[in-house]
Amino acid sequence: MEPDNDVALDIIITNVVCVFKTRCHLNLRKIALEGSNVIYKRDFGKVLMKLRKPKITASIWSSGKIICAGATSEEEAKLGARRLARCLQKLGFKVKFTEFKVVNVLAVCTMPFQIRLPEFTKSNRPLASYEPELHPAALYRIKDIKATLQVFSTGSITVTAPNVQFIATAVEQTYPLVFECRKIHI
Amino acid sequence: MSSRVCKNCGGTDIDIDQARGDAVCMGCGSVLEDNIIVSEVQFMDNGGGGSSAVGQFVSSDCSGKGPVLGTGFHTSLGKESRAQTLLNGKRQVNHLGHQLQLNKHCLDTAFNFFKMAVSKQLTRGRKMSHVIAACLYLVCRTEGTPHMLLDLSDLLQVNVYVLGKTFLLLARELCINAPAIDPCLYIPRFAHMLEFGDKNHEVSMTALRLLQRMKRDWMHTGRRPSGLCGAALLVAARMHEFRRTVKEIIRVVKVCESTLRKRLTEFEDTPTSSLTIDEFMKVDLTEECDPPSFTAGQKKVKLKQLEQELAKKLDEVAGEITCYQDEIETELENSRPKLKGPYASYAVEDPMMDDSISVASGAPGEEELDDLELEAAANHLNNNFYCEILDEKEDDEEEERTATEKDRSPVKRLPLASLLGPLPTAASLGLTDSIKECIADKKDNKENSENGELDLNGIDDSEIERYILSEKEVKIKTQMWMKENADYLKDQKEKEERIAKEKELGIYKEQKPKKSSKKREPIRASTAGEAIEKMLEQKKISSKINYDVLRDLNSKGSSSPTQDEEGSEEGGSAKKPSTSRKSANSRSLSTPVSNMRKRLRPLISTQPTKKLATEQGFGSTSSSDPSDSSKPVVVESGPVLYNNEDDAEEEEEEEEEPCVSAMLLIGGNDYGCDVDDDDGY
Repeated sequence: MEPDNDVALDIIITNVVCVFKTRCHLNLRKIALEGSNVIYKRDFGKVLMKLRKPKITASIWSSGKIICAGATSEEEAKLGARRLARCLQKLGFKVKFTEFKVVNVLAVCTMPFQIRLPEFTKSNRPLASYEPELHPAALYRIKDIKATLQVFSTGSITVTAPNVQFIATAVEQTYPLVFECRKIHI
Repeated sequence: MSSRVCKNCGGTDIDIDQARGDAVCMGCGSVLEDNIIVSEVQFMDNGGGGSSAVGQFVSSDCSGKGPVLGTGFHTSLGKESRAQTLLNGKRQVNHLGHQLQLNKHCLDTAFNFFKMAVSKQLTRGRKMSHVIAACLYLVCRTEGTPHMLLDLSDLLQVNVYVLGKTFLLLARELCINAPAIDPCLYIPRFAHMLEFGDKNHEVSMTALRLLQRMKRDWMHTGRRPSGLCGAALLVAARMHEFRRTVKEIIRVVKVCESTLRKRLTEFEDTPTSSLTIDEFMKVDLTEECDPPSFTAGQKKVKLKQLEQELAKKLDEVAGEITCYQDEIETELENSRPKLKGPYASYAVEDPMMDDSISVASGAPGEEELDDLELEAAANHLNNNFYCEILDEKEDDEEEERTATEKDRSPVKRLPLASLLGPLPTAASLGLTDSIKECIADKKDNKENSENGELDLNGIDDSEIERYILSEKEVKIKTQMWMKENADYLKDQKEKEERIAKEKELGIYKEQKPKKSSKKREPIRASTAGEAIEKMLEQKKISSKINYDVLRDLNSKGSSSPTQDEEGSEEGGSAKKPSTSRKSANSRSLSTPVSNMRKRLRPLISTQPTKKLATEQGFGSTSSSDPSDSSKPVVVESGPVLYNNEDDAEEEEEEEEEPCVSAMLLIGGNDYGCDVDDDDGY
């Protein structure tokens, strides 16, 4: 929840995706049989384990790579990942908690005004693209921070970026552009 | 069209022969132009007495390689891969474009886009049909034709979103800004399809006005333009007394019925809908509306607020009720202490008192107050819990829980609670402090993550224990899983058995599901020249390398370099066998021979020379055999068999050291020169 410079905008983080490696081979069948909250997807070669406390869904591969999604903050993601590793440890695998990395963060932010999308796309030509036949939002990509923003005409903006800091930067950068194309109420 | 300077020798003496359509340099003899387009018209007599003009049809493509061979453009000889791709692309563009009724200008532009895409290698990893469709759609957008992406996907039977992805990528890579789609563009097309007859124009105009209104009312942002068109046309048709059902409209417009209805209801919500037809045609309301999704969002927010208020009120009411309840309880329990007194002390002394006994103690109490007794029982349980905690001193989480429960426990249990109260709180405080210190320490220790050690801070083991099933449960689950996946397990067993058998027999091969190696038939040829020819046919040699230059890099007094196109073909054949030191040295001899001949006879066009080369290859090999007696075993080892591996190896060798091979080729062969002199024309 980071406020902008001029306006206090609520940026709500809805999803944090992270990965980590256990550096040991995991027997998926064993996990599937002994865990009570697991789904074994044999076709994809992975096990889905859902935790309740930080509400997290993890995809576990036999190579030891684990992707953890569904957390609402970076710390929670780390906590959830560690819980998961502990759970696997209890099942009998010699897990190590290595190379933890937050890969993607999804946040939602609402502007107090509506936005004219065709205007917005025209003024930000190469970075913004709007295809009403395909998706109702205009897509705005910022390359250096690798952030993608979906700008809707109602004023809500969805941001995905590699970490929370970049999300804040992205919103700060985009706010003036969107402000120009806002719809002025009569 | 005459060139003034020869590219090869720089000579200015160029002879242009109109009859043959050639431009030849008199200095070096290289052909500069072939099949010159002349502006003269000549006539020839036919057999039947008539006369016809002399000439050839030249295709509008840039690849003027001369007349096409018998099989058309399926020959891989003589056509570059790039040219083939472009030709194929052009064909597809025209095919699709005709189905969409695009005019020639659009098709040409689309082909240009395609050429750009190919040069930027955007066709790699994508189906060519997708790329073609994207190019066509790009043209439609830039020209403003009323073609939808949906039409294209219908023609190709491909998912719209897949096409859309390709299209967006193409637009981004080619830096072409496609103007945004205006639903007004589609109106004439759909109106025509709906067959309004004479009133077509009027209905279209009405529909356009409606659309403009929708735009101002913010209904069009983020919506498919076809949906809006459909709604506008429906209303316009009704306004002009045409009966067009929803089904007809959706067939034309290609949206779902629910979408159409939704648009209509949204339009209904706008103030414009309340105008009569005449008023609408004349007056334009200045008021603008909010987008429908925005209003829907607002409604949700309002609903939530209402719910919250209701909840608050409920709480208040509930609070009042609980107050009354508490008061009643206290009154009643004041009248009960005699019964519970001895048991209460009993409960304190014996921490392991059975729950049933406590309940039973409550039972003899007044029956009307069942719920109160249950509460009492619950309190007994809580107290047991407290005692357990005191005895074992577990994690603070549980203590926190007990703390909250302690809050909830009624006033009656004061003496007990006060006894227990200070103890757990003091303990919990102490523990939390120590744990906080631990946390602080662990945070400083960031090496943990590097080592891979699992940081157990904040992890509740007992909760995790719950995730793991007990042994009995494991058995049950195993049974269930085995039953469900019986087929798969059977297959796996069979596979293993099969592999075991094959291993015994020694046939077992590692089955790699990924790569399917191209298995080519080994070429059987009686002479090296034939072998080269066949191999060239099979393997498409790249003609983008100027082999002559490669060769001439190290050779000393070599003759002037030949033209690229002609030399490259022969160069292809030269490159292939050039580095074969193991076998078929005769091969390598024959081709440079033919190449040298090439240089001296530049007038001859490519195809016939190929044949000549092989003939000479024949001749040279037969005469070269005696010279190669030094290595008879290696050379004459039966028919020349080529394997993929050998070729690959040769190619690799070649790429690493092309210069050396060229040296060998030309530097160390006196023989080639001799034959050259003899057979020169």
